[in-house]
Amino acid sequence: MSERIMEHPILGITPEGKKVTFTFDGKELTGMEGEPIAMALKNAGVMVHRYTAKRHEPRGIYCAIGRCTDCVMIVDGKPNIRTCITPLAAGMEIQTQYGVEEKR
Amino acid sequence: MERYDVIVVGAGPAGLSAAIETAKCGMRTVVFDENAKPGGQLFKQIHKFFGSKENKARIRGYRIGEELLAEAERSGVKVVLNATVMGLYAQKEITVRIGDAIKHYKADNVLIATGAAESVVRFPGWTMPGVIGAGAAQTMMNLHHIRPGKRILMLGSGNVGLVVSYQLLQAGCEVVALVDAAPRIGGYGVHAAKVSRCGVPFYLSHTIVQAEGTDHVTGVVIGEVGPDWKVIKGTEQHFDVDTICLAVGLSPMSQLLKQAGCAMKDTKGGYVPECDAYGRTSMDGIYVAGDVSGIEEASSAMLGGSIAGITIACDSGYLADGSEQIAKYEKALGNLRKGMFAPENRGKKITQTEEGIAISETLLECGYVADSEIERYPGVTHMEGVHPVIECTQNIPCNPCQDVCPKKCITIGNNITALPVVDSKSQCIGCGMCVAACSGQAIFLIQEDIGDGMGTVTIPYEFLPLPEKGQIGIALGRDGQPVCKAEVLDIKSSNAFDHTNLLTMKVPRDMVMRARFFKS
Repeated sequence: MSERIMEHPILGITPEGKKVTFTFDGKELTGMEGEPIAMALKNAGVMVHRYTAKRHEPRGIYCAIGRCTDCVMIVDGKPNIRTCITPLAAGMEIQTQYGVEEKR
Repeated sequence: MERYDVIVVGAGPAGLSAAIETAKCGMRTVVFDENAKPGGQLFKQIHKFFGSKENKARIRGYRIGEELLAEAERSGVKVVLNATVMGLYAQKEITVRIGDAIKHYKADNVLIATGAAESVVRFPGWTMPGVIGAGAAQTMMNLHHIRPGKRILMLGSGNVGLVVSYQLLQAGCEVVALVDAAPRIGGYGVHAAKVSRCGVPFYLSHTIVQAEGTDHVTGVVIGEVGPDWKVIKGTEQHFDVDTICLAVGLSPMSQLLKQAGCAMKDTKGGYVPECDAYGRTSMDGIYVAGDVSGIEEASSAMLGGSIAGITIACDSGYLADGSEQIAKYEKALGNLRKGMFAPENRGKKITQTEEGIAISETLLECGYVADSEIERYPGVTHMEGVHPVIECTQNIPCNPCQDVCPKKCITIGNNITALPVVDSKSQCIGCGMCVAACSGQAIFLIQEDIGDGMGTVTIPYEFLPLPEKGQIGIALGRDGQPVCKAEVLDIKSSNAFDHTNLLTMKVPRDMVMRARFFKS
């Protein structure tokens, strides 16, 4: 279920990027190299980026410009990475964050 | 520690405009921005801007951003990206996080142009994935080519809510409702009208009761608010949506100024520094420009930035006399601050235009001008042959329609907020330049009688796929409701129209003043 806009009435045809694969909680997904991680996940239908520490509530993209920190995840083993402003690279391992760590 | 003549924090429209001026005067200027790309929010603005030629009117925001970046480069401005300014201290020193290092810089002048952040409102479920800022929606669809959702509810009828709703439609999303707790629409009537005619219903005096879903948004409940701003029991209604967009205002990001010790004030528009008309704060050598000193538009941020930049150059002795340049920018800025939506009119209920014509109540309460109200405006005329009908009904600072008409059929005059008047002896050649130039998409070309009881309506059309000649569809009225069958006679696209296509449809004669959108 792609959310990509292939052609836009004002912006024209979306330039073709380089497809790369990465993993989300161990599952292989594809995205465009250099796009924010959050956009690749959104395109793949992933809505929940993390669960809060105390009340285990789901959080996802809110501001999409790196301000609110709602979208942080574990990227290549490092927690609290703002996925909306971190570019996707081939082979990245993305994990849902529980509190400030991975699921135990 | 590195030293500069000028440090600018924020590479948006205000910061870049200021840096261009100081660099042009020979000052060593550096701009720090925490983002990976410069331009602030300009690159997600894909609509045509209002104003006059001096304000780059009828140019789309992202193009203005490209021009600004090119000029900054030509002027020798150094822009450092992925650089978060963390502290502003007395003696005009700053600390900047670049990568994993904290660096230290000092300058004779520091200009803070950090802009603003989106505000939120809280309701049960507001933190759930699927509730996003309207700016986030713009970032996703206009920068990263990703649809924010399939079915979306927008909260907020200010210009951001209206413009982003329209852009969501352009991206191929469905906007199921535009909701605002206020009893009247906050943004420009023309922005509301172009969303309305596409069939998006407005719910004024309504607010969100709750977002539904467990892990992400699957629906929303709205309800009508009473005079006490509380939801009236029994008025709740549900919509199936996957996304809720919040466009409920912006807050200046003025933390650095407070930290440095600048005198601050709490205003209706947020916590802002005290400053003069040239951007000088209470602290010597610390200046501000753009939204951080009070929320306005990108056009005013650019002018304010230019004024602050020239002021810095004058105050530091790099420019002997900047008064002429400043006067030019001040005049342009003054023009932008005129009209029904001028800063001094915020929160006031205006019932008449400057010309003494009653403002459309339906426009304020429902998002479109009613058929019974439209005839009273000076741009709405009837004559033989093809001619423009200008549904511009509020005094806003904008005049491209007057500039682009090769036959001078349209007059606004020297007062930029005046409603456009169509000359009754109009020599209209049907070129459509006015239709494409109108940033509010409020101009239509009408031919009232082409024989056989039919007439034509030419509308601005910015959606895909483009209908084809000969295609039969439904004409929608200003309220987005079907009014009659319509046949596409022509679709015109041209570089001069800048992605606004001109769709001419044939409708029955008695529908030419009602049909305002084409639905395939």
